[in-house]
Amino acid sequence: MSSWTIADMAAPLSVGAVVLVTVATAFIGMRGMRIARTPADFMVAARQVPPLLNASAISGEYLSAASFLGIAGLAMLEGLGALWYAVGYAAGYLVLLATVAAPLRRFGAYTIPDFAEGRLASPRLRRWATVMVLVICGFYLIPQFNGAGITLQATLGGPYWVGVVVLGVVVTTGIASGGMKGITVVQAFLYWVKLTAIAVPAIVLVMVVTHPPLASVELPAPTTFAHATLVRFPDATRIDVTRAVTVTASGTVDGRRTRGVLVLHRGGHTVGAGASLRFPAGSPAPGVSAATGVGGSWSSPLLHLDGFPGHRLAATYGVLLATVLGAVGLPHILVRFYTNRDGQAARRTTAIVLLLVSTFYLFPAVFAVLGRMEAPSLYLTGQTDSVVLALPRIMVAGLGGELLAALVAAGAFAAFLSTSSGLLIAMAGALSHDIMGRGVRAFQGSALLFGALVTTAGLLVESVPINILVGWAFAVAASSFCPLLLLGIWWPRLTRVGAMWGLALGGGASSLAVVASLAGFGARGWPALLLGEPAIWTVPVAFAAMVVGSLVTPEEVPANLTDLLVTLHLPEHLRRGGRDGGDRIIHRRGPDDREEQLRPAGAPRAGKRPERGTCSGAPELTGTQKEGSR
Amino acid sequence: MSARPVPPVPAETGAVAGVVPVRQAIRAPARRSADRSGAPGMDDVLRQDDYGRVLLGSLMRAQLGATVSVLGPAILLLALYPLLAVLIPGLARAQLAGIPVTLLVLGGGIYPPLVGLGFWYVRRAERVERRFGELLDDR
Repeated sequence: MSSWTIADMAAPLSVGAVVLVTVATAFIGMRGMRIARTPADFMVAARQVPPLLNASAISGEYLSAASFLGIAGLAMLEGLGALWYAVGYAAGYLVLLATVAAPLRRFGAYTIPDFAEGRLASPRLRRWATVMVLVICGFYLIPQFNGAGITLQATLGGPYWVGVVVLGVVVTTGIASGGMKGITVVQAFLYWVKLTAIAVPAIVLVMVVTHPPLASVELPAPTTFAHATLVRFPDATRIDVTRAVTVTASGTVDGRRTRGVLVLHRGGHTVGAGASLRFPAGSPAPGVSAATGVGGSWSSPLLHLDGFPGHRLAATYGVLLATVLGAVGLPHILVRFYTNRDGQAARRTTAIVLLLVSTFYLFPAVFAVLGRMEAPSLYLTGQTDSVVLALPRIMVAGLGGELLAALVAAGAFAAFLSTSSGLLIAMAGALSHDIMGRGVRAFQGSALLFGALVTTAGLLVESVPINILVGWAFAVAASSFCPLLLLGIWWPRLTRVGAMWGLALGGGASSLAVVASLAGFGARGWPALLLGEPAIWTVPVAFAAMVVGSLVTPEEVPANLTDLLVTLHLPEHLRRGGRDGGDRIIHRRGPDDREEQLRPAGAPRAGKRPERGTCSGAPELTGTQKEGSR
Repeated sequence: MSARPVPPVPAETGAVAGVVPVRQAIRAPARRSADRSGAPGMDDVLRQDDYGRVLLGSLMRAQLGATVSVLGPAILLLALYPLLAVLIPGLARAQLAGIPVTLLVLGGGIYPPLVGLGFWYVRRAERVERRFGELLDDR
C-alpha cells in the first residue's frame, strides 16, 4: 500500500546482513552447547558466568523491537515525550537492582512461579503466576512480530504480513525443533550487535547533518519523494507544500471533493480524512503542520495525549510507572539472575545492565530527531516505526547508505530474534510444565500453539505503534509480578491469599484495559488515560489487594517465614558452608524432578533430545525449570 | 569482581552439632571463604531465637535503607521534569546551544545520574553486608 518504501532499491546487503546475524547466532549457539556435559560441570558453569557476560546477555534479551525501532518511531511521531519509555525501560533496572536482584538470587528460585510457590507455599498460586507469565509474554511477543513485519517491509518491500509470518515460522520451528536456544553467549553477542547496529549509523548520520546544525530541529528541512508515492491521510491533516506540485488526488482537498489531477500551490492545504494524494517522483515531501500535533509541541517532555495538560502529565507518570516497575517483573528476564554466582554478583550484573541499556538508549533519540528533520515523508505514509531502518538510505546516498541500512537491518533482526525466542521459550515452558503434562511433546506443542496465536495477533496490529504495545506488556507486569516480588521479598506478612488477590485484580484489570485499548475503546479524555496507561491505577490496585488480602489472612503466613527471610537476605558468605549461593529449585513433585532439573542439554534423556535450554559456558537448566531457560 | 575482604572466622568454628541442613539442590564447590565450611553459619544464628530474628530485622532494615537512599533521588529525578514542564510551559521550547533542553535531558542527560546511583547502590549494599558480618563476628 505505502508505495513509498525504500524497498524499491534492491537491498541485497540488508538481506545478507540479516542472514549473517542468524547464521552467527546459530553457530555460537552450537559451539556453546559443547562446553558443558555433566551435571557437575553444568552447575559449576552456572556460578562462573562473569557479571559483564551475564549483563550483556540480559541486555541482549531485554532490548527488543520496541527499543530498536519503537522508541525512535514513537518519539518521531508523537514528540520527545515518548523518550520517557526509554528512560523508564532503563530506570527499571535501578529498581530491580535495589530491591530484587540479590534477594531473588539468594532465594535460588529460577522462575517467578518458582518464587511464588517457594515463598508462599502454594501450588495454586504457582499456577496463577504461570497464567500471568503467559499473558505478559504474549502481550510482549506481539509487537516483536509487528516489528518484523515493518522491517521486512522496509528492507525488502512487499506486504506487512510477510515479515510477521517469516518471523513466526523461523522462531517457532527453531524452538520447537530444539534449535535457537538463546543461550547466554548468544544473547550477549546479540546485545553488542544491537548496540553497534544503532550506534554506528546514529553517529554517522549526526556527522552528516552537522550542516545545517541541529538548530533547525523545529523546522523540518524539505526532502523529496524518491519515487512516485501514494500518501494516505487517515485523519484530516494540514500539509505545507514548499513548491507547487501536481498530484493525483482522491478525496477532499481544501474542502472540495477531488478525483484526478490537482495542482497544489505553495503554502498550506487541508486534506480531508480518508483522502489520498499521489506525489510524483522528485517532488518535495510536504511538511506536516501543527494541526496534526507534531508541530511546536513536539519537543514537550510530556507524552502526547488528547486532553488537558493534567492528562498528559498523568499519562507520562503512567508510562514511567509501567516501564520502571514492569522491568522488575519480566518473567523471561528474571530467569537470567539465576546464572549469577551469588547475590552480590547479581547486584553487580544488574548495575552493568543499567549501564549497557542506558548506553543503548542514547541512540534512538538521535534517529527520532533526524527522522523529523530529514524524513517527514514517513509521517505521511504512517511508517514512523521504520525510521531507524529508513533513515540511513534517505540521508546517505550510494554504497555508504546501503551499508548503514544493512547494519540497522541486522540489528533489528537481532532484536526480534533474541527477544521473541526468549519469550516464546518462556511461554511454551510455562504452559507445558505447569499446565499441560511435562515432556518434549508438550513443550513442542505449546511452542507451535503460541507461535501460531501470536503470529495471528501480530497480523492484526499493523497500525499500532510497537512501543505502545510493549508499554502495555510492561503495564501488566508492573501490576502483577512487580508487587509479588517486592512484597514477597520485603514484607514478611505477605500471604498466598494476598498474592492471589493482587495477581487477579492487578493483572486482570491491566490485561482487560489493554484488550479494551486494542479493541479501540478510549480514544480520548479520561478513558484514553485509564485504558491506555492502565498502570497508573492498576499498580496501586495490585499492591493494595496484596496488602489487604494478606492482612485479613494472617494465619496463612508461611510457618517457615524466618527460614525464608534468612535465605532471601543473608549474604551467602555468612551462611554455613561458606559463600556459594543456594539453589532453591522448587521441589515438590517427587524425585524425578531433581534429576531432570540438573540434566544439561548435552545429556539427553532416554534417547530423546532435551526439551529445551542448553548449557554453554552458561548455566542453562533443562527440564522442569522451564520457564525461559535459554 | 574485586576481592571482598573476608570477615575473620569466628571462634566457634567446628561447632556444628544439631544443625539442620538448608534445603538446597546442589551446590558448586565454595571458592572463597573455604576455611569457613563446617562453621556454623549466620543463617543458623538468625533462625535460632528472638535475638536472631532481631538481627535479621536489622539487616533487612539496613538493606532497605540503602534501597530508599537510592530510589528516593531516582524518583525525584524522574518525576520532577514532567512536573516542571507543566508548571513552566516554556520549557518545551527551551533550547541550549540550539538543542531542545528536553532532548538533552531525555536523550542523554538523565542516564548518567541513574547509572551512577546504580553503582553507588552496589557499593552501599555490599558495605551493609560487610558491616553486618563484622557485627556478628564481634558478637
